[in-house]
Amino acid sequence: MRPTESLRLAWRSIRGHKLRSALTTLGIVIGIAAVIAFVTLGASLQAGIIGDISPDDQRNSYGWAADPDTEGGPLAGAQPVFSQDDLDALNDDEDIDAAYGYMPLSTQALVYEGEISPQSDALVAAGPPYIRENTLEEGRQFEQGEREAVVNPAVAGQFEEDLEVGDELTIALQGGQQTTVTVVGITESSEGLSPFEGFEPSPRVYVPTDPFYTEDAAGAIPGGGGGGDGDGTDENGEANDGGEADENDEGGDGTDENETDTDAPDGPGDALFLAIVVEAESADESDIDRAKESALAYLESDESDASELLGDDLEITLQTSAELLQQLEDVLDLLQNFIVGIAAISLLVGSIGIANIMLVSVTERTREIGIMKAVGAQNREILGLFLAESVILGIVGAILGTLLGLIAGYLGAWYIDLPLVYPYEYVVLAIAVGVLVGIAAGLYPAWRAARTDPIDALRYE
Amino acid sequence: MATSGTGNEPDTDDTGTAVSLQNVRKTYQLGEPVHALDGVSLDITRGSYTAIMGPSGSGKSTLMNLVGCLDTPTEGTVIVDGADVATLDDRERTTLRGTTVGFVFQTFNLMPRLTALENVALPQLFQNVGRGERRERARELLERVGLADRADHLPNELSGGQRQRVALARALVNDPALVLADEPSGNLDTETEADVLDLFAEFHGGGTTMIVVTHERHVAERAERIVHLLDGKLERIEDLGSANASDEADT
Repeated sequence: MRPTESLRLAWRSIRGHKLRSALTTLGIVIGIAAVIAFVTLGASLQAGIIGDISPDDQRNSYGWAADPDTEGGPLAGAQPVFSQDDLDALNDDEDIDAAYGYMPLSTQALVYEGEISPQSDALVAAGPPYIRENTLEEGRQFEQGEREAVVNPAVAGQFEEDLEVGDELTIALQGGQQTTVTVVGITESSEGLSPFEGFEPSPRVYVPTDPFYTEDAAGAIPGGGGGGDGDGTDENGEANDGGEADENDEGGDGTDENETDTDAPDGPGDALFLAIVVEAESADESDIDRAKESALAYLESDESDASELLGDDLEITLQTSAELLQQLEDVLDLLQNFIVGIAAISLLVGSIGIANIMLVSVTERTREIGIMKAVGAQNREILGLFLAESVILGIVGAILGTLLGLIAGYLGAWYIDLPLVYPYEYVVLAIAVGVLVGIAAGLYPAWRAARTDPIDALRYE
Repeated sequence: MATSGTGNEPDTDDTGTAVSLQNVRKTYQLGEPVHALDGVSLDITRGSYTAIMGPSGSGKSTLMNLVGCLDTPTEGTVIVDGADVATLDDRERTTLRGTTVGFVFQTFNLMPRLTALENVALPQLFQNVGRGERRERARELLERVGLADRADHLPNELSGGQRQRVALARALVNDPALVLADEPSGNLDTETEADVLDLFAEFHGGGTTMIVVTHERHVAERAERIVHLLDGKLERIEDLGSANASDEADT
């Protein structure tokens, strides 16, 4: 018998039991759909994260100090250990293009034109290079020592009247103080600019570490140095363009002097950064490695302030976005493999279902088998017929499951707003699995059918 | 009796014998050995019409299975269309069965999900005959059994007599050396029985070798001779004369 004839006959048998066949394939459909949906979601998730790294972020290394046993992503368990002195020293290193502190600051609200928008953790203090030119939609980077800010579209768009470059924004800090900044730039997207922020879109205001962190940190700590700034912030905002700005510039230098004066790097008046960003000369791997090594060498040497604060418990982690992402991807992969593993169990259950139904079908059609053998069907033709039937069930299940899985994955990716990536190789794989499941599930029943004795089979009631 | 109207060329055997049994013994081990057939010798010539009679347990079914190449003898030789069945392996025996023997069963044994036409064409499916040719041949045979208008009906849409005619058409589709019918009218009422038996006579008149297993005298009497079996042995052969079946084809 020709293979096409086997398929035709097998298809007829399947159609003869529509409900039963549909229920049988359901196990495979669910299994394959689950695998495809999760793989699609996983691939889309990865694409979403990877797609968020801009190329010039690649020369950045992100560093923080934490207990080496701490599990988690960037900044997990981080302690502030990086002083301005350390950053200056790193900046002088010829392997390092730029080094600056990074500090997320707690806020209460953002105020624009009298309109108050409650907002916590919206403030990020960093060095000017943190705002990369190509991430700016309009305007420019903020400058160190100026009361300037770059905001992202999520902030710009949340007021009745959109924020524009040149507008003034008042920020209510956690401690109750207020500070007013001039918006000098708006970023292109609301997604995070570095792994420190996370990549999900959220309203953020980026400001220079000086004055906002150095000053506020000093001001926020009772009895700390740099007093007077705390109560002056409100007025500062008003007199921003005036001599105050110059004073701030000097203040920037002044803090350096202060530190040397107090001669206590861990003194309360000193601003310590939670994290640092080290920029290498280029995105070249060797340049990045050199920058990381130089930075680590300095930070861990006795010369640095950080080394004193590190003690025995803390260790500095310095990693590029790619490395941090790799860790995230590893976790995602693990999770995905786990889910795919569970889905594979449902596939196994599905194939047992097919095997079961095929066995029932063989018993039920014993007489038909006898007839076919009596009129000249060879054993292998009977085998082929039943195998074709279970393979068709497997393939139909795989195709339906793939479609269902792709739709589910698409809806999922759409719902959490990820770029959709269809894992085409898995579609091919799913069909192959369908065939394999069909063969594996059908082999024993088909073999039983093939070795049925026609004499008994013809007598079978 | 060596007519040659069937169009079948004997493989090696020119004697005009379609089936030859020599001292055939079939023993089943059911606790103790049971001789279903106990030394039966019988020749069936080409183009003949033979009825096999006997009470149940006489070995009719065993004989039919042996002649139909479904089974092999414990002792003795069964030669069907020139081939010694015992020497063939399962595959060759299946081929021989498919090409040389046409079965007609008491319960019709049609494939329930295939149409009349497809049922008739089924044996050719296993002989790798192309689809178009199969359908053409099946249609032709359905016409000859008077069911051309029922070609696309499923078996459960046909009456008993119609089903048995489909079965007969199927038995003939590969142009077999012999048609083996097991109680072909056992499930039919008297009128349809006559119709079907008339068809048998008609095809016999066309040269097909007919073997009908039955326990009903009036069915057996349609044949040219009746072979009586009793307790696995050949009791006697009753010759009814060759004129019998051929004439009745027209009645």
